[in-house]
Amino acid sequence: MSEYKRDYGDFIVLMGLAGFTLWYLSDAIRVSASTQNLLLILPLSIIVLVIIAFELILRIKHGSLFRRSEEEPLRQTLPVVGLFAAYVMSLEILGFDIATVVFLALFLILKGERNWLLLGGFSVAFGLGVAFFFSQMLPYPMTLLLLPS
Amino acid sequence: MIDFGAVGQSFDLLFSSFGPWLVVVPGIILGLIFGATPGLQISMAMAIFLPMTMYMDFIQAMLFLTAIFTGGSFGAGIPAILMNIPGTSSAIATAFDGYPMARKGQHNQALGVALASSVIGALMGYVVLFFMIQPLSYMVLRLGPAEMFVVILWGMTLIASLKGEQVLKGLMAGFVGLLVGTIGFSEVGLARGTMGQTYLLDGIPVIPAMMGMFAASELFKLANKGFIVESADHRKVKVSEIFDGCKMAMRYPVVMIRGGLIGVLVGAVPGVGSSVSNLLSYIETKRRDRDPDSFGKGNPKGVVASEAANSSSEGGSMATLLALGIPGGGATAVMLAAFAMHNITGGPQFIRQQTDVVYAIIFANFAQVFLLVVIGLLFIPLLANIVKVPMRYLIPSVLVLAVMGSFGLTGNMTGPATVLVFAVIGWIFRHYGYSVPAAVIGMLLGSLAEKSLLHSYQISGGDITYVFERPVTLAIFALLLISLFSQPLMKKLKARQEATQP
Repeated sequence: MSEYKRDYGDFIVLMGLAGFTLWYLSDAIRVSASTQNLLLILPLSIIVLVIIAFELILRIKHGSLFRRSEEEPLRQTLPVVGLFAAYVMSLEILGFDIATVVFLALFLILKGERNWLLLGGFSVAFGLGVAFFFSQMLPYPMTLLLLPS
Repeated sequence: MIDFGAVGQSFDLLFSSFGPWLVVVPGIILGLIFGATPGLQISMAMAIFLPMTMYMDFIQAMLFLTAIFTGGSFGAGIPAILMNIPGTSSAIATAFDGYPMARKGQHNQALGVALASSVIGALMGYVVLFFMIQPLSYMVLRLGPAEMFVVILWGMTLIASLKGEQVLKGLMAGFVGLLVGTIGFSEVGLARGTMGQTYLLDGIPVIPAMMGMFAASELFKLANKGFIVESADHRKVKVSEIFDGCKMAMRYPVVMIRGGLIGVLVGAVPGVGSSVSNLLSYIETKRRDRDPDSFGKGNPKGVVASEAANSSSEGGSMATLLALGIPGGGATAVMLAAFAMHNITGGPQFIRQQTDVVYAIIFANFAQVFLLVVIGLLFIPLLANIVKVPMRYLIPSVLVLAVMGSFGLTGNMTGPATVLVFAVIGWIFRHYGYSVPAAVIGMLLGSLAEKSLLHSYQISGGDITYVFERPVTLAIFALLLISLFSQPLMKKLKARQEATQP
């Protein structure tokens, strides 16, 4: 018999959705309790909360409130998510050009690329190429450290 | 219904000089590039190149813009198939089966199926436009906000119930998406859910959110894989297989025609357009199929349904633009700007007085569709090589494109930050089986749903009996209930039948 491992993640997501719905509804009521403001938000929030309650009842009934997900564990992907978050947050600090080159290089290292020439060449060529393309195509100023803006 | 005199004049307009045609090929190529690049939008391409149309005459300008539109409609399906990243919201359903096909090593066929379906869909759209432009415009005028609202709810319910076993999670994701879509200033000027942040006053930037939920979250999931297509033997780009794909699409004429008709009809509804038509067509095809469980696992019919519908939507949205002067979406909104630049106002008067110009635009689009076949076949082999790129190179490259593209959409860091936040949400949603497409469509349609409901409320004066005077609203509402309850009811009936059988 396989051992039953508890996973609280799905339950937390469900509670997160309920929490967001309640917060958004209360914020909308705080702004204005008029019919025109709550015409969609109030009934929709009630429907969402009813569905969540129904899902919880079903899970309790089936004894699967903290059921285990069949997908691979989230933690295996966490380094990639963290690296992407760091990249987005560094865009304004390092500039779109340098941040992109660094992100590409670190991602390749993280995923096991050990051909340093290819790693460096690709990161610099693709990173700078894309940053240059977008800086020329877009009508907005982009923060760039190396390339001409 | 057809003014043959105007048909003759339209040929004169198109063929008296080579001028109008000079812009078609560059337009299609631009559309393909912008459509196929995640983060770049067809409407963005049209907006960027709109100033150039000032130096063109009206016909030439319209040909240029519709060529970008046609190329982009197909182009958006390419990353949807190869990377599970719909280039635009109109190719969401293309990814449902196109990407599983690619992962099975049938990327060449999937691209061929998409190309043939796009071409035939676009052709159907313009044929319908040619014959039906006037009746279509009257029909659209009869659709009020109440009908728009139930259409949105219906679409949402259908999308949410796509994953048969997890309907509740689908509905939750879709309805929370609708709520998220209403964040920011409402129609009556009240800002909700902004947490005091000025960049949320216009609402959550939907396209970057879509890119995060669809693209980045899927890429996170694939981070530990070697290639899109695991088997080295399947990672080949063969033009012959692309042709096979084109032929494969022809095996499903009913799916294609149904998709084309759904596309034209839904495409003609302002604000809904191709974003919804591809999903409705996909769902309808899946619902009617003998083996609905094969969808989402690489069934070419799914690609045919989606691509035929999103391409024929172009004809539908052009009908609304030409006949009523109302843009159906971002791309036709740019075209409306081109109308204004040339001092032309769309509407019934425009159709009556300048029928030759309208016909010229339609005929030019017939030709564009055939050019798309040639240009598409030249471009696809280049783009299909993506399957040969190891994931460790592909994933960061696409993430970078998504970040840059989202910056281009918002003009500030709101875009990249939105991609990041929604990538994480999408990743968690995928992990726990919540419907990502339902959440995204909810976000796309949230503000439109609220606006439609508010207008219905204002028109009816808050009297609920108003709904009972709208037979179309009631009919769509009935469809909504059927689509929500038919599946579980049928399952129960089948189970009961099986239980009673010895």
